[in-house]
Amino acid sequence: MRYLALAALPLLAIACTATRPSPPPAALAQPPVLLPVPEDPTVSFSISFPAGSQMDPPGKEGLAHLTAALMAEGATTRNSYAAILEQLYPMAAGYEVRVDVEQVTFTGRVHRDHVDAFAGLLLDAVLRPAFTAEDFERLRQRTESYLTRTLRYSSDEELGKAALYAELFAGTPYGHLPEGTVAGLKAITPEDVRRFHRAHYTRDTAVLGVGGGFDPALVARLQRELAALPPGRPALPPAPRPQLEGRRVVIVEKAGPATAISFGFPLAVRRGEEAFYPLWVANSWLGEHRNSSSHLYQVIREARGLNYGDYSYLEHFPEGGLRTMPPPNVPRRQQLFEVWIRPVPNDVAHFALRAAVREVERLASEGLDESSFTLTREFLSKYSLHFADTTATRLGYAVDDRFYGIAPPGHLARFRQAMAEVTLARVNASVRRHLRPDSMVIAIVTENAAALAEALANEAASPITYATPKSPEVLAEDEIIARYPLRIRREDIRIVPVEEMFER
Amino acid sequence: MQVKLAVAVTVLAGCAAASAAVFPYRFETHTLANGLKVILVPMPAGGLVAYYSVVRTGSRDEVEPGHTGFAHFFEHMMFRGTERFPAGEYDRLITAMGANANAYTTDDYTCYHLTFAAEDLPRVMELEADRFQNLAYSEQDFQTEAGAVYGEYRKGRTNPFEVLEEALRATAFDAHTYKHTTMGFEADIAAMPTMLDYSRRFFARYYRPDNVVIVIAGDFDPAAALELVRRHYGAWKPGYQAPQVPVEPEQTAPRRVEMPYEGRTLPLLAIMWKSPAFDPADPRVAAGLVLGELLAGDASPLYRELVLERRTVQRLLPAFQPSRDPGLWGVIAMVADEGELADVEASVTAAVSTLAAGPVPVERLEGVKKRLRYSFLMSLETPDAVAGALAPMIALSGGAEAVDTLFATLASLTPGDVQAAARALLRPERSTVAVLTGRS
Repeated sequence: MRYLALAALPLLAIACTATRPSPPPAALAQPPVLLPVPEDPTVSFSISFPAGSQMDPPGKEGLAHLTAALMAEGATTRNSYAAILEQLYPMAAGYEVRVDVEQVTFTGRVHRDHVDAFAGLLLDAVLRPAFTAEDFERLRQRTESYLTRTLRYSSDEELGKAALYAELFAGTPYGHLPEGTVAGLKAITPEDVRRFHRAHYTRDTAVLGVGGGFDPALVARLQRELAALPPGRPALPPAPRPQLEGRRVVIVEKAGPATAISFGFPLAVRRGEEAFYPLWVANSWLGEHRNSSSHLYQVIREARGLNYGDYSYLEHFPEGGLRTMPPPNVPRRQQLFEVWIRPVPNDVAHFALRAAVREVERLASEGLDESSFTLTREFLSKYSLHFADTTATRLGYAVDDRFYGIAPPGHLARFRQAMAEVTLARVNASVRRHLRPDSMVIAIVTENAAALAEALANEAASPITYATPKSPEVLAEDEIIARYPLRIRREDIRIVPVEEMFER
Repeated sequence: MQVKLAVAVTVLAGCAAASAAVFPYRFETHTLANGLKVILVPMPAGGLVAYYSVVRTGSRDEVEPGHTGFAHFFEHMMFRGTERFPAGEYDRLITAMGANANAYTTDDYTCYHLTFAAEDLPRVMELEADRFQNLAYSEQDFQTEAGAVYGEYRKGRTNPFEVLEEALRATAFDAHTYKHTTMGFEADIAAMPTMLDYSRRFFARYYRPDNVVIVIAGDFDPAAALELVRRHYGAWKPGYQAPQVPVEPEQTAPRRVEMPYEGRTLPLLAIMWKSPAFDPADPRVAAGLVLGELLAGDASPLYRELVLERRTVQRLLPAFQPSRDPGLWGVIAMVADEGELADVEASVTAAVSTLAAGPVPVERLEGVKKRLRYSFLMSLETPDAVAGALAPMIALSGGAEAVDTLFATLASLTPGDVQAAARALLRPERSTVAVLTGRS
């Protein structure tokens, strides 16, 4: 012991007499996600943080979203937002942010002719947002108007989905839209935004991603400058584990000729887990997004012409009306199985809901047959090529791999490998284990909500007539669908006037 | 499989100099004896191929009363199969190859597009050639699809932008078929199930090789692809009958429409002017692209004033898309408050006056040109993006050469050209203002 102490003395002396040592340079806690594509003349950027809307303090719903929006679409301490736009303009480049419940991700893409100038502007946005009063008011007003005008009155499909999420995740940190609530937005102050930025944009949680034709010096610069973020690792709230008992219905009452329907239930399997990939095969057969191969599409649109399309999902899929392929950068610890019925005429809403629920129940109880399995597996083996056909999207997937803890070569490679190996037995075993439609939330946007609630509670028959002839097979199946039990109790149906949606 | 980016090194050259040849890939154009034009764009694409069939018929061609929306409806019918490949079989084959397949209809053309693995090109060509020549559907299928189209219309009616567009077109045009939207008038959509015979005439008249252009982009051998085209499309009989699209008389006075909207929305304001027909060599057309950016682009004084400083506008959108016949272009604003509508309109009018009053600074004009060129080139990342960017140029002009011609015209624009275009085209008597307000 003594020996050790003596031996340590000279070192101590040196330490005391030398100039005060600088602390080890701060660094990002996580290594960057790099996707070099040397022949690509553009560079893609991604900087993400676990600063999503689940971190909103109670009563300030919308804070995470507004903070990120101000960073991406506001002034920095070096430039007004107008000056930033002026500089980005001739580059034909820009950066944007996606805010979901878990992650906030800034992305951008620029021709490498302009990479240094662009990187400087992006770094300013993340490190040096000004949070000016003018930008604050502009973006708060815009978000409020999105909730109170656009979402309530201009897109019944998105409204239906939002109602489903709000009901299913009620009381959890996923229980409000990332954009927040009207009351939450009103309560947020510029000081809240500054505080949120300081607390949640930290060097210990940042994940930097760079793809395309970049130079290693660029990565070094980004890492060095982002290391100036404060340290910290804010505790995440526990992942929501919504417990459903039976079926709950929320009907958003809103005048209009068509009814939008979404329904779903929590899913206890996530990307990267073994059961996920076989389950994807079953879901793709049931409701591949924007694809006429979807079985729901065949039953509701193709055979009966009731609407424009019908799809199902295993992962959150925002902006479904605008995109064909799944978006990156919306990873979640808790997913839901979701069915999206695009607007149907009001008088067939009950029928269409029955038809869709029946198909989900049939899948859950019967599984896929051999020919459907073979075709769907063949489809996905190649269709997955389209999931990420650009460097920016592949970079997004790689960043999501970090979130899910999926080791290289990552989810997309694993997906394709799984398609080569999956068997019908494994698909149906995953279906039996994870698709449990006995409990679900059904969200409906329609007028005459009380009448529909009554019909649902009474299991009233919903016969359908067509203006045009249909085959005997379709008509015979209609008889079954029209009386198909949905097993909804009156006390589990709630009617919400559209004016109250997203209020608090 | 890794899909490598396809923007070749030539893109750099295209960006660096205002060269006449901006389109970064070599392409071949072939015309078969029956008039079918084929444009082949081989490019590195990680084993993917995009296949576009561009029918140069859109809602513009709906010249007969009672048949608005038919081009779009017919797009749906094209998925209903043939005798050789009935709808279910077509779907099964497309599904098995994991193709990303879809279609869309515009004012001026209808486009069917698929992206798939290169090895499936022969099969895709066989299927596409077959349905374009041998489409066969039952009355029942026809009527069912009419229901789906009505569903699409209903979906759109909750979108105030679509309601605004309908009112705007109906007001701006007297004779030309641009008077109606691509969806068509609701009464015509409701009557579609009764139009089976008309649908067959529509197919016979417009779906002809001399009215169709095939674009193939991606990883494929052009010589082999051309041989396949000859084999599968060579026997297709020509016979396109061009419709007599009414000529819109010259507008002589400002027009205006105020449209109530059943839901609640922020007010929408569209200030549009009659535009010239698309001609890539016409400086007025290229000047239109520049005027849109100068007037309402992200770096425009108007955007700064209305969106960022006064915050009276939440969204400001330049809408200067070209059209085959003289159409409409202008600015659309989502206004923060109904009480601000008049001020916003006055600000747009003042910005137009400024552009007409004096030449734009050269460096500003060059910045816009650079922006437009970089935007275009950066968008050409995948075979689907390349074919998708060519499709409208081909539909409006007949050939892919229009891209380089348009960018050459753009490069040669002077501040004087832009000012002259503003003076000549953005005059009040050529304008139509549409205002949409929701319930309070």
